Amino acid sequence: MSDIPYKDKGSILAPFKSLGFLARKPVTEPFEPRPASDNYRGFHVNDWEQCIGCSTCQKVCDNAAITMVRVPGLPEDPVKGIRNERPAIDYGRCCWCGLCVDICPTGSISLTTEYVHTCREDELDSYFILPDPNGMHGEHFPTGWGKSTDADLVDLERQPMGEVAPEERIDSYREIVDGFTEQQAIIEASRCVQCGMCHDSCPTNMHAPEYIRAIWEGDAEEAVRQMYRTNPFSHVCGRVCTHRCEAACSIGRRGEPVAIRWLKRYAMDAVSDERVREIAAEGKVDYISGRKVAIIGAGPAGLTAAFDLVKKGHEVTVFEALDKPGGMTRYGIPEYRLPYDRLDADVAVITSLGVKIRYNTRIGADISMQDLERDYDAVLVAIGLQQGRSTRIPGSTHSQVKKAVSLLRKITQGEKFDVPHRAVVIGGGNVAMDIARSLARLQKTSYGEVQVTVCALEDFDHFLADEEEVVESREEGIEILDSRGPKQIVIGKDGELSGLLTLGVKSIFDADGRFAPRYDDSDEQMHPADMVVESIGQMSDVSLFGDDLTERLEWNRGRLKVDENGHTSEPWLWSAGDMVFGPDVVHAVADGHRVAASIEDYFASSGSQNNE
Amino acid sequence: MRPENYQARSQPPSNEFELNFGPNHPGIEGNYAFRVKLNGDEVLEARADAGYLHRGFEKLMEGRLWIQNIALVPRICVPDPVPMEVCYSLAIEEIGGLDVPERAQWIRVMQLEMSRLAAHLFAFGGHAATTGMYTPMFWGVADRDLILDRFEELTGGRVYSIYNIPGGVRRDVPDGFLERLSSLLDYLESRLPDYDNLFFTNQVFITRARDVGTMTQEQALSWGVTGPNLRATGLAFDVRRDDPYLVYDQIDFDIATEPGGDALSRNLVRRSELKQSIRILRQVIERLPSIKGPIRCPIPNPLAWNVPAGESYTRVESSKGELAYYVVSTGGDKPYRVHVRGPSSMHAVQVLEKLAVGSRLEDIAQIMFSLDACPPEVDR
Amino acid sequence: MHRSGIFPARGITETAQETVYRIMSKELNIWLDDLLSDIESVQFKRKSSRRVRVDVGSEALPALLELLQGRASYVHLSAISCVDWIEEDEFELVYHVWSYETQSLVSAHTRIPREPGVYLSIYDLYQPAAFFERDIHEMFGVFFEGSPDMEKFILTEWNGPPPMRKEFDSEAFVNQTFSWEPYHPQWLKELEEEGGGITTRPEDVRR
Repeated sequence: MSDIPYKDKGSILAPFKSLGFLARKPVTEPFEPRPASDNYRGFHVNDWEQCIGCSTCQKVCDNAAITMVRVPGLPEDPVKGIRNERPAIDYGRCCWCGLCVDICPTGSISLTTEYVHTCREDELDSYFILPDPNGMHGEHFPTGWGKSTDADLVDLERQPMGEVAPEERIDSYREIVDGFTEQQAIIEASRCVQCGMCHDSCPTNMHAPEYIRAIWEGDAEEAVRQMYRTNPFSHVCGRVCTHRCEAACSIGRRGEPVAIRWLKRYAMDAVSDERVREIAAEGKVDYISGRKVAIIGAGPAGLTAAFDLVKKGHEVTVFEALDKPGGMTRYGIPEYRLPYDRLDADVAVITSLGVKIRYNTRIGADISMQDLERDYDAVLVAIGLQQGRSTRIPGSTHSQVKKAVSLLRKITQGEKFDVPHRAVVIGGGNVAMDIARSLARLQKTSYGEVQVTVCALEDFDHFLADEEEVVESREEGIEILDSRGPKQIVIGKDGELSGLLTLGVKSIFDADGRFAPRYDDSDEQMHPADMVVESIGQMSDVSLFGDDLTERLEWNRGRLKVDENGHTSEPWLWSAGDMVFGPDVVHAVADGHRVAASIEDYFASSGSQNNE
Repeated sequence: MRPENYQARSQPPSNEFELNFGPNHPGIEGNYAFRVKLNGDEVLEARADAGYLHRGFEKLMEGRLWIQNIALVPRICVPDPVPMEVCYSLAIEEIGGLDVPERAQWIRVMQLEMSRLAAHLFAFGGHAATTGMYTPMFWGVADRDLILDRFEELTGGRVYSIYNIPGGVRRDVPDGFLERLSSLLDYLESRLPDYDNLFFTNQVFITRARDVGTMTQEQALSWGVTGPNLRATGLAFDVRRDDPYLVYDQIDFDIATEPGGDALSRNLVRRSELKQSIRILRQVIERLPSIKGPIRCPIPNPLAWNVPAGESYTRVESSKGELAYYVVSTGGDKPYRVHVRGPSSMHAVQVLEKLAVGSRLEDIAQIMFSLDACPPEVDR
Repeated sequence: MHRSGIFPARGITETAQETVYRIMSKELNIWLDDLLSDIESVQFKRKSSRRVRVDVGSEALPALLELLQGRASYVHLSAISCVDWIEEDEFELVYHVWSYETQSLVSAHTRIPREPGVYLSIYDLYQPAAFFERDIHEMFGVFFEGSPDMEKFILTEWNGPPPMRKEFDSEAFVNQTFSWEPYHPQWLKELEEEGGGITTRPEDVRR
């Protein structure tokens, strides 16, 4: 039976029991709006200091209520991943579900406890608002539904990347990073919110959102197609790019940025070399223009320009002084970071399109610039920075004081030299780490133990080398000292090198921001060594131009003067790559595109064909 | 005043006439219409007329990301929105193979029972109003508001809580919430005798509701009746017990039944379920603090979430009966098809039409409210 | 607690009759599995202890449902779902039937050609089918022969194509039919004067 005390015939008097309520205190609610609960979903506020304008809120909004609006005067910096856009909300559409809050990569947007707004018919515009930190009506209301770690919709953690253990890798040049499996790549790609900050920050504006999405959709070929829109060095960049995209990634605001570089590497490795060549050839014109272009230097800048120009139907010849292509990507980057066969694969794509590379041909010695000027319609110099700079401290001319780039080139070419028992590297950039780690491998194989010290000018808070490089170097037994300025190379009585004296660094730049290191003379250290490697920067060898051309060209503080497209003061001559912008693969690629476009424009405007 | 084109028409004398009941009528739940043919005040024929609340939810859902639909589904049933969210989430969890953490399951049970309490308070209040008794309606709605206060505290929203998400729930329970819920339950329990005095044992109500809209158990089964309406014909069936989901198999509760099959029995079943829901909630309050752990399993970025290809037919017991979602995924980032089977798609259409025939005009509203028919479940 | 139901409420001692029911229901499940696995043209898949998926040719479906209802206690038609597989040019009809005795749900799937989109009503087996068939007719345009009522129900004033068909683009329809009146508040005018303003509208990012 029912558990209600109800009788078949309820008493007709039962309702009168309720008369007792007359004696109770009446419940009254105040006329004012009731304060809402602590996580109420009312009108939005947006912390403009935190907001980066990534528009992720707009993408998740299920009612299409969010419009992105440019607000002049707010900071805008593609390298840092900040846009001067802010979300505006249409309260005719918003349903206050709060998904925008849960997915916001920065945590800038939240809902407040404010919930009353009304207006006359002629004020309907007031339902379209641009939330700022002040609230809808400029009155402060406490935050209601805010970012919570409980149910954050942003996936803050990267897929783990497998690495070869330090003890296994130290005695060989095998690649350290394993790369993603297909499953890992799809999951990693799924973390992307498609904000496009990576695209804006990339020097060559790679279509990273598009290729990440293609990887997520399981279409590696489409990913490769998207990469080849802007980067014919995708194998190389997939391994050693300085990945400014990841610094700009909006997921990185609170978590680990999407591993864009490793995703690129995954897609390139997932597609066969033949298929990559077919994809890269898409869009190549089916006629021959009759123009001839000479490119000096088979590095990333030169070969990227060659890639673009050959697809436009021009005849491209690349002159390379050494016997293999790649430039600094081959001779500067150790094989444990970039296996040579991957570099060869990138270059093979470019040559498969018809680019000719003449190796062991040094311009200025084997062929003169005058010959090129005569025989070609345009000449591009992309020779990079192949000479190391010297510290010029006392003793730095000693034969056991080496330049990092020269030593790296020797190692790559397999040239024999006496491996030092104890080495000191001066410098704190990635090249310093490269040579330190290469020497460590040689020491391990020659002597069974690693004795390498790196003395960097910068402190660890302002370190130049990538953090992972520092971590991995330490794992491999390399000692890294920060804030040490080189004072003197110590040479024994027998003329043998015995070490490096360093001083503690007080400051590196002067009040005007110029490079002027100041040292603490009381903090002197001796680092015993039988070899010192200088790794403080590189410069270009410009002797190839010859006296006559050097005289005709315009220079700026020892650097070749070019316009923003790499065009020199000579109409037929361009320059690109590290020698213009400093050492970085992806900048060199971007520069290659820029110069190729400039050459193409020159051809289009010059009309008639020279030398024909 | 007569319209310009008015022409008087002569009709044969007849006691039969047609009446449009709704779509805006206090005796109708929501916007819904009922065309009845009457002889005097006896109903000869009845036709349900739906569509006033059709918003094309099923179509809309096909165009939205999986997760965006969580803001859409609660709108399908205004008085009892939580089962919609939970059912939709359960379907995706089954297709996607998501393991909902135990804590989230208990929190879901808590919301479901809070929602059931709120819906039943609404339903009996509404029924009382159809018999001319407005005080129980005021009481029911006022006490429901106290439950909505707790919803607001827990979920940030009073009616559409949008609090469940595939994989779990969106926020943990606020500090002190369970204590406040517990004192609310004490209050509601103390109100039950008041409701009884005012309504359930009220001779006026009993006399009005007895033998109105009666169906036998056999009829109920063949007409697809579910939920309290089915239990009011004496069949002890409840999806929570007989096709259990979440953690209902760890909870003690009785299935209330009544033998009569009429409007009175249906209300008495709801009255008993108020007590059972309070009982379930007390168990949740007791157990929840000891169940630690996350409130949601990891889910992919909603902007790039492909739910694997598959399909699921998921059922829950809403306050109105058997609620089911048929969800089909083709492996994309949006559902390929979502079919919502609301219990009222039976109760508000065929069952109502059948029960209305032979009844008196003034009882139609009573029958509809006693079935707790919810028109938006029909229209979707 | 009232006891007239065919199933006992939890926590009450079973009567002998109820025990028989309970044991029978388990055996019924096994019997059903055997039966369905044996019938040709029926693909049978047990998804869980309470869920069975059956794929059956459209000619055999009514017979299967009759068998399920008459011989295996599946008396409750929970729903009929329709799925438009436009690329295969087929409609899939899914009949979800529940047995109160074995406490399990059979979903019987069948496919019919999209054109002419005609199928048999099962109203004589299950009365709730009237609602679902009418709904599917209205939303997908499938005609059920023998169904008591194929009249319009929800979309009384709609003369367009059945809207749940995949080729009907409701968003495009809305954009063609209605015009939006964009807001242009003062703050936006001020930003536009400074060189800012709207960059991405919500419809630009809809996928």
